[in-house]
Amino acid sequence: MSARDWTNGALALFFLLSLSGLVLSKALRGSHSRRALVAFSCVCSVLMMLAAGAALFSGQGVEVSLWKIAGVGTLTLRLDMLSSIFVFTAGLVYLPASLYAGNLAQWRLYGHYPLRNYGVLHFGLMISVVVLLLAGDTLTFLIAWECMSILCYLLVNYEQSHRSDTRAGYILLAMGEAGFLAVVLAFLIVGHGATGWSFEALAAASKQLSSKAAWGVFLLGFFGFGVKAGLVPVNFWLPRSYTAAPSIFVPVLAGVTLNLGLYGILRLNGDLVPAQSPAMGMVALIVGSATALVGILYATTESDLKTMLAHSSIENSGIIVAGVGASLVFRASGALVPAAIAMVAALYHMVNHSVYKTLLFQGAGDIEATAGTRDMDRLGGLARLLPVLSVIFLVGCLSIAAVPPFNGFVSEWLTLQSLLRSAVLASPGERILFALCGAALALTAALAVTCFVKVYAMSFLGIRRGQWQPHTSASGGQARFGLAYLAIACLLLGVLPTYIIPVLNRAVEPLAGASAVESLVPPFFTATAANQELPPAFLEDFHNLGAQSGRRWMPGRGLVLLVRGSERNPVVFAASPAYSLIALALFLTVAWIAVRRGTRKRKVARKELWAGGIPRLLPQMTYTATGFSNPVRVVFQAVFRPNIVEDTRETVAVHFRTAIHRKREETHLVDRLVFHPVGDAVSWFARLLARMHHGRLNAYVAYSLGFLLILLLLYRLS
Amino acid sequence: MSVTTSAEASAERVDLGLLAVGLEERFALSVSLARGEGGIALSITLREASRLPALGKFLFWEAGCSWGGLIVEELEAHWRLSYVFLAPGSGWVEVLLEIPGNAHSVPSISAEVHAADWHEREVEDLFGLSFEGHPRLGDFILHDQLWPEGVAPHRKPHRKAVDAQQAQLRHRPNPDWQPLLVVKDPGSFAMPVGPVYEGGTGESLHFLLETVGEDVVRAAPRLFYKFRAVEKIAEERGVMEGLLLAERFAATSAFAHSMGFSMAVERAWNLEVPERGQRLRVALAELERLRHHAGTIADICGSTALEVAASQAGIIEEELLRASCGLTGHRYFFGLNTPGGLTRDFDGAGLKELQKSVSKAARSLHRLEERLYFTSSFLDRVEDAGVVTPEKARDLNLLGPVGRASGQGHDLRRDCAYGGYENYDFAVPREKEGDGYARLRVLFEEAYQSAGLIGQALEHLEPGAVCGPLRAGGSGVALGWVEAPIGAALHWVRLGDSGRIERYRLITPSFNNWLGFHVAVEDFAFQDFPIILATFGLSATECDR
Amino acid sequence: MSFWFWHGLRNGIRTTGYPRVPETATGVSPGRPLATEFASAGEAATATAVCPTGAIVADGKTAAVVLGKCVHCQRCRFGLQQPVAWGEDYEWTTAGSRGDGFEPLPVAYRRSTHIMVVDAADCGACLREVKQLNNPFYNMHRLGLFLTATPRAADVLLVVGPVSENMRGPLVKTYEAMPAPKKVIAVGTCAITGGVFGRTFVSAGGVASVLPVDLEVPGEPPPPLAILHGLLVAMGRKPVAPRESYPTERTA
Repeated sequence: MSARDWTNGALALFFLLSLSGLVLSKALRGSHSRRALVAFSCVCSVLMMLAAGAALFSGQGVEVSLWKIAGVGTLTLRLDMLSSIFVFTAGLVYLPASLYAGNLAQWRLYGHYPLRNYGVLHFGLMISVVVLLLAGDTLTFLIAWECMSILCYLLVNYEQSHRSDTRAGYILLAMGEAGFLAVVLAFLIVGHGATGWSFEALAAASKQLSSKAAWGVFLLGFFGFGVKAGLVPVNFWLPRSYTAAPSIFVPVLAGVTLNLGLYGILRLNGDLVPAQSPAMGMVALIVGSATALVGILYATTESDLKTMLAHSSIENSGIIVAGVGASLVFRASGALVPAAIAMVAALYHMVNHSVYKTLLFQGAGDIEATAGTRDMDRLGGLARLLPVLSVIFLVGCLSIAAVPPFNGFVSEWLTLQSLLRSAVLASPGERILFALCGAALALTAALAVTCFVKVYAMSFLGIRRGQWQPHTSASGGQARFGLAYLAIACLLLGVLPTYIIPVLNRAVEPLAGASAVESLVPPFFTATAANQELPPAFLEDFHNLGAQSGRRWMPGRGLVLLVRGSERNPVVFAASPAYSLIALALFLTVAWIAVRRGTRKRKVARKELWAGGIPRLLPQMTYTATGFSNPVRVVFQAVFRPNIVEDTRETVAVHFRTAIHRKREETHLVDRLVFHPVGDAVSWFARLLARMHHGRLNAYVAYSLGFLLILLLLYRLS
Repeated sequence: MSVTTSAEASAERVDLGLLAVGLEERFALSVSLARGEGGIALSITLREASRLPALGKFLFWEAGCSWGGLIVEELEAHWRLSYVFLAPGSGWVEVLLEIPGNAHSVPSISAEVHAADWHEREVEDLFGLSFEGHPRLGDFILHDQLWPEGVAPHRKPHRKAVDAQQAQLRHRPNPDWQPLLVVKDPGSFAMPVGPVYEGGTGESLHFLLETVGEDVVRAAPRLFYKFRAVEKIAEERGVMEGLLLAERFAATSAFAHSMGFSMAVERAWNLEVPERGQRLRVALAELERLRHHAGTIADICGSTALEVAASQAGIIEEELLRASCGLTGHRYFFGLNTPGGLTRDFDGAGLKELQKSVSKAARSLHRLEERLYFTSSFLDRVEDAGVVTPEKARDLNLLGPVGRASGQGHDLRRDCAYGGYENYDFAVPREKEGDGYARLRVLFEEAYQSAGLIGQALEHLEPGAVCGPLRAGGSGVALGWVEAPIGAALHWVRLGDSGRIERYRLITPSFNNWLGFHVAVEDFAFQDFPIILATFGLSATECDR
Repeated sequence: MSFWFWHGLRNGIRTTGYPRVPETATGVSPGRPLATEFASAGEAATATAVCPTGAIVADGKTAAVVLGKCVHCQRCRFGLQQPVAWGEDYEWTTAGSRGDGFEPLPVAYRRSTHIMVVDAADCGACLREVKQLNNPFYNMHRLGLFLTATPRAADVLLVVGPVSENMRGPLVKTYEAMPAPKKVIAVGTCAITGGVFGRTFVSAGGVASVLPVDLEVPGEPPPPLAILHGLLVAMGRKPVAPRESYPTERTA
């Protein structure tokens, strides 16, 4: 069977099984429903990976035409390289998410919501996501987008009993619709002169767009999809929704639906209507960097675990979009290979983010189920209670903090390196902006380390700070399998970049117009054609330095190179997570052996913690998450602008201080600058319009008459 | 820097006659006035305990008296409480209250006289006598974590417990003890510091620094880790043994405290100190003050990590210690004071050596102060560190250099002269800012004044005896007061018929000033904490006794 | 700001030559009473009576001195017609109550020892003398002695004070938090026999009732050079005087 057959078959089986799963999980009862949900969902996710994998590794996409609608066109499903990457990632994430959806411990938390409805929504979302990613024409795309949006809203508001939660879902819906409107407008502008609604027709029509129209399409599409992707001016729904969504859904929300916004941006602004001027890419780059910085700042100072992870998702999304923006700038300036490198970095980061964010959210869900609280100020000491989870969560924290040999390191390194290649740009203004955005991303990376050190230390280490009693109804073996699978994926994605990059390259090549493989994965590792940038003498030197060492016994030589400089004087930046992993393991083993041998005569005594001689270290004497991150809050005070709401000092008998109450309120930067002003403006305008609705029939008749007259006048004048 | 001249001091004088008139007007039926004994100028016997807070308020706020201390005695059938106030320029005023032996509580005056807060807490812990209306009793000297409820170690039955074989109180740390935390911010925590801390040579203190992460909102000290029950040990001992205790409970002010105790005994037994003895006492007391201030200055420089200045100040301190040892045979003046004068005399050559060392030290301090004035990084750290406003200083009755740096100009050498100080010409420095730099300036200025006083004392030294004849005089009650380097100290003794000590009450300046420390340590940065501690220069051992 | 540099240079080197050469400046040590041969037993008895803590023990015409009880009141020096003999030295360290002989720290610590100081309710003089060890006159850093803030990094535990009840727990915790090898030095008469505070319901009467003591440095307070001598003994760079050199067994 050819790859195409595999793909087609997998897709067909996917739709069949997901629909049956939808029906079965509604029809069955109790634990049968749960098992059906988990089983069918797992198989479907495996099928997604199979379909996408077959397409990616063979390099051949598929195209299926569905129904023909008169007057509009044919609805088609098309799996090309870009789609298959996103489908593969979605499948990768859906597998552990499905296992987690059957988590008994979680269901005990919201016991009175029926699981059967959840199953319907879950499969509905899965189907709509796949259809969205496979959409080959505008109508399919838009219908699937809308379905996905509504299902997201329903899933986020699954536990409707808390009022603040429903407000979060409502904001999500409102912003989603606003974004959708912007996207529809963008498509309308492009399709204005197109022959049909299929993506090929749109691509052809885009070449005739005037500069203003191209800008209009770019901005509307970018910010319209940016709503879903969580970019800065339009992302104020994200922290609220992630916090309000049930813990079994949030991994999907972060790992799958966030990527859909990115897919939209790549599809519209990268593929169909490629950005023509570098300024468009600059907009994307700047917005991405600002998003990353704002996201991580709020993540660092947040003490609710889920909200912190939501802000961190904003940060990662910003990094991805910054990479995309850099790629667009390079491409518009004619430097195609740097464009390819930047795009590879962005896609790699997208895959990485999905994997480790799902892991972290699942871990956070387990923490909430065990401790009953998400407030990091009240957690602590979980490493004793949940030893396996603490190790896996540590892997997740290390990955997101970009520590080698895990996956975050590779994609962050690639992103920063691609920004450093701004020397190929002609205009000095662009180069300066690239440097500034690079600095912002570096600051983001540093803050991310602070943030996740805080997360891990405050949740797992130390002693228990709150009054909660642990529910040690552990997540079952199947959920642990999901977590371990994600942790291993983090490691593999980090250690085997030389295998991942050629796969990503298949999608990048049509978008950027050049292949990144020769620059990133040197020819003496893969069997592609010799690279002109690497002269034979250089290869010889590199060989003598030991670049080929271990070629026979080490299967994945994870060495990623970036080459700069001229032919006579090539400059190389290299990162080798695989080698560093081996070196690390070797070093640790040698050190462990040396220490054991050197201190054989010594006895290790285990004594109590030293705390200055006090009888017992009480929980209120240990660091809290707020305390740990307060320096960041103080340094970036201009961003946070906290309002001191209450600062009262109570005393008894004038001099004896009994209590100091301090309460601080912070409004999010984006809320302050965008949401509240826009909301106020809309309210003002609505109040203005409300004056028209006073209920007098005569006035309404006058309005209709007036409107008719104006129409007639316009008709006359045109 | 303002310096209180004699004229200004007399302007703050409280006239006893006017005071008596005011008391008659306000409290006519409740009080009876009489001349006090044993150093007390005016004794006010209060008949109605309920008027105690009003009387305290009148004396402290309206009449302008300063707070001295609370002396509690458990006599045969009743409690004798004596609230001592200082009427500057006139002497000590005492409010005597006697309540029946089976009474459990007394009205608290701490709502009016805030400086009495800790005095009442101490009495409650050690005697079990409660004070109505006091905001917080308990967990003071006898830490709740260790000591069971209801132990009142200073009461009569416990006299037998003061014996090596009978230390039988079994203590187990109370597992349910929680500290009293004041900051109610959700993310706040309390960082524990101590009792064993400070990288070497800090005294045993415990602090809970309540913070929300970047700066400390409040720091509450927990003292009395060094409580050795000096007052209890002194009971049933002879005067000479009591003298040893007075010297050694706070040895960096050993001469001052032994002088205070000796003066109390001298007053009780009517002993005269000859002229030469008085002058030498003044010289040695000022030498101790000079050395103590040099040490405090070294600590302040060390706390800001200005190591060169700390080393230079350390050199001055060590040279003064060596000079002290060369003259008297002991670096900290142990064994010099005795009731009646000094234990030995010094020859002219030795005193000349001393004068030379003192002049050299004063010159070195001048140079050091000048250098510090030009070191902006140092000034940045001590300025605005631990501010105590003049109002707060008056409110909490801060004593010594700390009080004077916040505008409280009381100095016992001037306001209630003892030991011949009325014959000397010296100035009492005063500042208004109340921050660390003001305290440092006051320390320097006092050191120079001390050097001047030593010169004056040694200048007109006539040969003669240094000690009057020591005749045990039977029973008596007396108050001895002295301006120790840290502030005003009171030693109150009741001697029995056989000349043994029946009650020894020790009121130290550090005990008063540690209460004021709470005010200075609100809302400061972590790094300022050792600086505030050093500029206050308080002694935990003097407080804990 | 550079004036500090010149200021320091101008003050010159003040550091003592001890332990290479003995220190002979005046005022470095208060000295101590020595065992004295009196003319008659009556004079010896008078000397015994004048000592408030029983540090002088008469045996016929000889009066021996238990330095671990001497509180430096100097009554036997200045308060007697026939004073006891007085020695101006400062090397007073003896082995402690541990019992099985004194072994200094291993050779690795000879030039580098970290000291943890615990204030177990001392009067302030002993602590101040320990603090003087850091001033330019004594400069203990040149001998490889350092103060640490944490017992985990400490080799020597220096205890001052008679150990009040409230400090007993923290002191024991500090000792237990130190890794082996560790030595305990009781500095000052209060830390050895309780001084004038003795053993009461709030005072343990010395460190020996709470911890095993390796070395004792008597004196009230022992001058910085005596403390330095004690630390050098702990490091193994100076010999220690054995505990049995006192004629009568000390009663605790």
